[in-house]
Amino acid sequence: MRILLDKFSKSFGSTKVIEEMDLEVGSGEMLALLGPSGCGKSTTLFAICGIHRPTSGRILFGDRDVTGLPSQERNVGVVFQSYALYPHMTVAENIGFPLTVRRMAAANIRKEAAEIAALVHIDNLLDRRPAQLSGGQQQRVALARALIRRPDVLLLDEPLANLDAKLRLEMRSEIRRLQKETGITAILVTHDQVEAMSMCDRIAIMKAGEIVQISTPSEMYNDPRTAFVAGFLGNPPISFLKGMAEGGAFVFGNSIRLMLPALAAIPDGAVLTLGVRPEHFGTSGDVQVEGKVAFAETQGRENLYDVVLPDRSVLRSIQPVRNDVAVGDPVCWSLDSKAALVFAEDGRRL
Amino acid sequence: MRTSRTLGLIMIAPAAIMILLFFLMPVVLTAVFSLTNMSTATGISGGAYQVTQAAVNRLTTDMPELAAAIAGPRFVIDEEGVAALEALKLKPGLAAELRAEHLGEVFASRREAERVIKALKDRPSTREVKRISDLFNRSVLNTRFETRQALLESLRKLGFNLGPEEQEAVAKATYTGWVWTADNFRTIGNSPDMAQIFLNTAFYVAVTLLFFNVGYALFLALTTHYMAAATASIFRAVWLLPRITPVVIYVLMWKWLTWDNGFLSLFMGQFGYPPRNYLLDNAQGAWFFVILINGFIGASMGMLVFSSAIKAIPETQFHASEVDGASRWQQIRYIILPQLRWPILFVTCYQTLSLLASFNEILLSTRGGPGRATEVWSLAAYHTALQNYTGNLEYGLGAAMALVLVVIGVILSLIYLRVFRYDTLISKPLIED
Ligand SMILES: Nc1ncnc2c1ncn2[C@@H]1O[C@H](COP(=O)(O)OP(=O)(O)O)[C@@H](O)[C@H]1O
Ligand SMILES: [Mg+2]
Repeated sequence: MRILLDKFSKSFGSTKVIEEMDLEVGSGEMLALLGPSGCGKSTTLFAICGIHRPTSGRILFGDRDVTGLPSQERNVGVVFQSYALYPHMTVAENIGFPLTVRRMAAANIRKEAAEIAALVHIDNLLDRRPAQLSGGQQQRVALARALIRRPDVLLLDEPLANLDAKLRLEMRSEIRRLQKETGITAILVTHDQVEAMSMCDRIAIMKAGEIVQISTPSEMYNDPRTAFVAGFLGNPPISFLKGMAEGGAFVFGNSIRLMLPALAAIPDGAVLTLGVRPEHFGTSGDVQVEGKVAFAETQGRENLYDVVLPDRSVLRSIQPVRNDVAVGDPVCWSLDSKAALVFAEDGRRL
Repeated sequence: MRTSRTLGLIMIAPAAIMILLFFLMPVVLTAVFSLTNMSTATGISGGAYQVTQAAVNRLTTDMPELAAAIAGPRFVIDEEGVAALEALKLKPGLAAELRAEHLGEVFASRREAERVIKALKDRPSTREVKRISDLFNRSVLNTRFETRQALLESLRKLGFNLGPEEQEAVAKATYTGWVWTADNFRTIGNSPDMAQIFLNTAFYVAVTLLFFNVGYALFLALTTHYMAAATASIFRAVWLLPRITPVVIYVLMWKWLTWDNGFLSLFMGQFGYPPRNYLLDNAQGAWFFVILINGFIGASMGMLVFSSAIKAIPETQFHASEVDGASRWQQIRYIILPQLRWPILFVTCYQTLSLLASFNEILLSTRGGPGRATEVWSLAAYHTALQNYTGNLEYGLGAAMALVLVVIGVILSLIYLRVFRYDTLISKPLIED
């Protein structure tokens, strides 16, 4: 089912958290709301599921306006960051709770709970209590509880934040699998760009209550609209160089010049920021840059280097493992100027 | 290891001594007192042997003849009496003949003694006979003996030849000090008054607890939970007032409300009802107000405990249940109440005990009246042992009543623990991963 936010605003007292947000999530799509902590992701999610009333604007599920409806009448499934399992109920009772409050017969509830539990692989834990479960198992219970009533919409608020790295990986594909199997429209709230990129069809990146860009993960990575988006996506992150345009070249530091075709149309003297992703600086490229290795780290398959340029700005580089470069060594590596991203002074991409 | 254990014992010693002195000792003393017949009459130290009419009455049930004999006069011709007769300076032959012929004789009645005196050779006049016989009147009634020995010696002189069983009975009947006895418990078990007081107490505790200390407190906690924070705190503060008002003033306000020239009477007067004392007019009214007075005080504690327990439930559980489709009523039933099991147990237990033990509000309002309609167990114990109309304070019986209260409290607590399945509340979850 399609979700539509139309000029949605939310304030708490005098604090405006979200202002006039427009967002459309297509039917069966999984969308990530990505942004730093405190930017209003949970607030948006809570408005969609009806816990918060919007200050103004409309929320539509399909063609139905649900703005004024209480949570109870929206048919949404929510997985909370803390899971919010009911500690006094068994796993089966937790999962079946949405059916219990609909006064379904106990035997049917048990049957459906067992079915959905099998879907998330916890059918052997039905009689445990939440306190007797590991984090990953609790997570699955929360998922099962959100799915049992076949909701129109599945909302996930930082569902993986409390899991350890290995479980996070496992649950990432698990949640995506369930979303695809059930064909449900889902919104995933996260501050982790890896999660957003790996799990979702599209990403809406938020900053201070506004959506900065909505695109598919690869589009957003390769074609970010602002420096903020470019900086938020990618691990290891993009490096930024500050400089100015001069005759079609990017000049920074004490007259280090990089000839960039993209700058041909930029007037001389414009203050610019150049973003270079680590994979675009290293063994192949068209512009040579000299510097000194300040930091080196191996990640097994790849090595990560920080190279300090003469003006003390830093470029990151990621390369296949090599043993001929150590910290302190002077290097002259190539930069792929066609892949470099140019941003205006206000962060807009040029 | 050993030193640390010793150190621990030393550290705990002051507390342990305090507990022993101020918590355990009163219970032990109560138990000790409850097995005696101590009262104002017996005193709490030892007593004497006093042949009172009451003592004779006590003896009458088992040994009616002996009792009548002891109560009746006795005339004994003894040296003491003869010496007194000589001092009267009547005819000297009278004393001499009595000493020579009749010394040691005992007569069960004045008539028999006077027949002998009349028959003396010196022939006393009728008036003299009466005076002389008086000198030999040796009744034991209304005399006090410091020891059992003295009592029995005196009786022997009066011609009572008592067997050991009779001696025991007489000593027991005339002893004024306290003795060990289980009679208090028999009294409690058999007296219909006590049964009525027991029923009063059960009614008072059950109704106050159910409708106010737990029921109303729960209602307040739940309603304030769904109110805006500011409104809720005002509401809670209002319900705390009865608790923080000094009880004397609080009860006085209820009296102003219910007296025959109080607010209720004035108000009802507007509709033509004659003024009356709504508090003491009849038993139903008295119970109604006694329960309100106590309930309004008691509800505040439960309200606070339940409110904070509800606050301790993470907010996301409420969000989650709303999203899951639960109405408020279902939230209360499925989310809140199950998680309030322990606080409800605690409040029920605590308030049962305090309702059983405390009587100050009742004492200050109805004094157990009208009649003994609102007399509850603890108040009755107080009246029996410390404050009663006859002036004979029965410490022993009062202590026995208090002990019964303690036992009932313990039994009820154990029942509550079972009913609320305390074991499952404290059992550790099995954590495996
Ligand atoms: N109930 C509330 N009352 C007041 N301010 C709130 C409330 N909930 C959230 N906020 C504020 O709104 C902003 C966004 O919060 P939130 O949506 O939780 O951020 P996040 O993106 O980390 O989920 C924060 O600055 C937070 O302080
Ligand atoms: Mg959040």
